[in-house]
Amino acid sequence: MIDFIQNTLDGITIGAGYALLAIGFTLIFGVLRRLNLAYGPSIMIGVFLGTFIYLHFDAGWLPVAIATVIGAILAGIYVERMCFWAIKEGAALASMVSTFAIWMQLEELVTVIFPERTYKFPTLGEMDYLEFAGLEMRAEHLIMLGIAVLMVGLLHVLLYRTRFGLSVRAVSENPAAARFMGINTGRVIFRAFILASAIGGVAGFLLVATDPTVTPKFGLQATFKGLIAMMLGGMGSIPGAIAGGVLLGIVERHMQAEFGAIMRDMAAYALLFLFLIFRPGGIMAQGVAAREAAALRRV
Amino acid sequence: MDEHLVSILTNIGGFTFIALSAYLLLLTGEISFGQQAFFGIGAYFSGIVTAMWGLSMWAAIPLTMLAAAFSAGLVGIITIRLRGLYFSIATLAFAEMVRLALVGTTWQVKIDGEMIGPNGSEGLGNIRWALDNNIEANDFMWIVLITLAIVMGLFFLMERSRLGSIFRTIGADRLLAETQGINVTAYKVAATALAGAIASLGGIFYAHAQTHVYPENFDVMLGVHSLAYGLIGGLGTALGPLLGVILDIGFLEAVEWVQGYRMIAFGGLVAVLLIFMPRGILDERRVHRLRMAFRTRKTEPPPAKTHDPAAS
Repeated sequence: MIDFIQNTLDGITIGAGYALLAIGFTLIFGVLRRLNLAYGPSIMIGVFLGTFIYLHFDAGWLPVAIATVIGAILAGIYVERMCFWAIKEGAALASMVSTFAIWMQLEELVTVIFPERTYKFPTLGEMDYLEFAGLEMRAEHLIMLGIAVLMVGLLHVLLYRTRFGLSVRAVSENPAAARFMGINTGRVIFRAFILASAIGGVAGFLLVATDPTVTPKFGLQATFKGLIAMMLGGMGSIPGAIAGGVLLGIVERHMQAEFGAIMRDMAAYALLFLFLIFRPGGIMAQGVAAREAAALRRV
Repeated sequence: MDEHLVSILTNIGGFTFIALSAYLLLLTGEISFGQQAFFGIGAYFSGIVTAMWGLSMWAAIPLTMLAAAFSAGLVGIITIRLRGLYFSIATLAFAEMVRLALVGTTWQVKIDGEMIGPNGSEGLGNIRWALDNNIEANDFMWIVLITLAIVMGLFFLMERSRLGSIFRTIGADRLLAETQGINVTAYKVAATALAGAIASLGGIFYAHAQTHVYPENFDVMLGVHSLAYGLIGGLGTALGPLLGVILDIGFLEAVEWVQGYRMIAFGGLVAVLLIFMPRGILDERRVHRLRMAFRTRKTEPPPAKTHDPAAS
């Protein structure tokens, strides 16, 4: 029983990282209605920029974190310009394949510059385990959870209390109507992209700092964890992204503990598949009529 | 012929099958991220048939295509209600489950003092049908290329037939197709099954040319590549996927100075290409114009702007 609670707790902390990735995905999908496969790889660029600064200047975790976020934002801008801004409306498939091409490019770029298989990444410092009623929690995990909650709070304020947030929500709801209201949709998309990349950068930093090895496979993992978590929660929904991320984290953790790594990944995809078949709207699905309407709008 | 060239041409042939299978689904308006599953099923199933059961590859081809068509049809039925991105992600999840199942499967039997069969992440080895029957790499290449020519020929026939226009109608506007009395569900399942069988053909040849396949050969990279090939080459004709594969494998394998930077060059090239040609090099308009140029009869108006499946 204590193991069960322990695994659930660990799952929630990892899930918090996935939730941040899923939020970034959902933001981009919300304003663009297009899938950005290069989201994970652009975060990976940030993570490698962080590693570079760590290895060459022996920097502490704060400069590394800042470099990670900046790298993710720069790569995100590149992706937005190449794959979304430049490709005209009505060519969503071309956009998606283009993000895949950029993904390949970024991954190869990283393997050329960093030829080793794995690299070190700074941890958040030597920290003790916190113990409570027989449960253990790594202090880094607690920090990760805290930062994730903080980010979600800030994002909520940004989306629901500012003009920028209002315009993002307007574009997500109906781009044409938003344009008629005088919103510069191109600029909103660009800024939402930067916001999503920054969130992704923080998520990438947290995920790598608690498991301090960096590989070029990080881009693939980040894309798919974020994508699965977003789909589990329901596309375009931020509460859904959080729920999906935490659910994914918990399920993965339990399967890992019981059956090992293959079953962990298998369970994640099986969960996704079952959700798509039986509840395509995700955890946060509305009633059937609203869901049909939402699906028509979104896809 | 030069050994390197033979292996490149064999590879082009093998990968064109999976590109064609993704292209067939694109015609019906579906984006599949999961064709690599049927490529993998093709490689494993045919490898088991020839290496473990000792049958010939000619027997393995129909058996494998049937098995792949059956499993693809099943996936098609299960996912029939899903559209757009939901379908794409469901196929992706299915393909990853297949790959992980292959990683988790060990089933070996002793044949002539050697353990043969799928061995988890070590893959399936000893697929030596071509070697045992003294079929040289050169001959094997011709087997692949002739089969490819036959399949491409069938594609051209299909596209000019009623079936082809039904597929394109479903892809352009599902509702329109339904009001025309087309049984959309049946045609979609048929297209998925057919695409599965075509992808498995690529897997069969890949396995028998390589003699050893690993589950990691059939990861999502292969699936998205096969989708990209059709889009780069163009969605107007079955020659499009072939052109995409030739550009990637043929051109970039052959040009030596891009080795090691291949994806940096190719990725950037594809991204720029898609800005100017969002439906690929041989898109519907260009194919129509070419066709008109070779025909001296009265000119017909170009086809209406086709619908983008991902945007629906």
